Amino acid sequence: MTRPIRKIMVYVDGSEQSITAAQYAIVLAKSLGADLYALYVVDTRALAELVKSRIFLESEQEEYRRDLDGDASRYLNHVRELARRKGVPVAAEKASGAVHVEIKAKVAALGIDLLVLGEISQIRSRRDELYNETERAMRTAQCPVLVAKGEDKIWDLYESLE
Amino acid sequence: MALIDLIEESVVKVPLAASGKDAAIRELVDTLVSAGKILDAETAYRAVLDREAKGSTGLEEGIAVPHGKTLAARELTIAIGVSPAGVEFGSMDGKPTRLFFLLLAPPDQAGPHIEALAEIARMSRSKAFCSSLAACRTPAEVVRLFKDE
Repeated sequence: MTRPIRKIMVYVDGSEQSITAAQYAIVLAKSLGADLYALYVVDTRALAELVKSRIFLESEQEEYRRDLDGDASRYLNHVRELARRKGVPVAAEKASGAVHVEIKAKVAALGIDLLVLGEISQIRSRRDELYNETERAMRTAQCPVLVAKGEDKIWDLYESLE
Repeated sequence: MALIDLIEESVVKVPLAASGKDAAIRELVDTLVSAGKILDAETAYRAVLDREAKGSTGLEEGIAVPHGKTLAARELTIAIGVSPAGVEFGSMDGKPTRLFFLLLAPPDQAGPHIEALAEIARMSRSKAFCSSLAACRTPAEVVRLFKDE
């Protein structure tokens, strides 16, 4: 029987939950001998939406786009460092567009077997179900999805990883 | 982080006492100081005014979304204000502003900042929601509305 999980991708948005997800993905990749990918999506759809609604000026859109590019590099480097400490190679992927659309596309393009996402906020409004990007990714990705819950347990697992 | 995670009674000012644009911004910034969300009111106030100087964030239908990047905010934070009388905010349609969403974020939190602003942009398109928010008379009513929304 072929291994069911050979490629794991974790979506990183800079939130604490997504960093916990990255730690769990590192644990899984090492335990299963799987390839690990980390994806950050620069949410250009949200930027365009803010210009359209006149909350952002055109110049502001460019400024925040640069900020988001910087965030992408910083957070992906952080995941690289977390993986390096545990001797796990990770391929960092950066995309731009609508978050859940880009996640779905990357899952398909890379042939991902398992998508790892951070925990979704517990205090919720009904609107979140429609617009929360992590939740949308969970619903639309065409592969098994794992939501990394239990920060303390995951931290212990990550720390105890040889 | 969902917008609702940032909203608690201490960051809601109902009713806003200010009758002018700068005073309304100052009142919302002071609300955040009282809530312990920011330490340096003057720096935060200046950041929002600098942004407003480039173009008003007063939208249509009585909504304004003043915002700014500032080190005065340790993390993304929001203040919500409701002005039953309305404030002249230089809005696109010239109508007085009754609903204020003031967002402040440190410069290295562009992602959550944009996510929260986009969420407000979507909510502001719901006339029913905005009408209900404008009718709130206490911070508790505002928080309840967001959680039920």
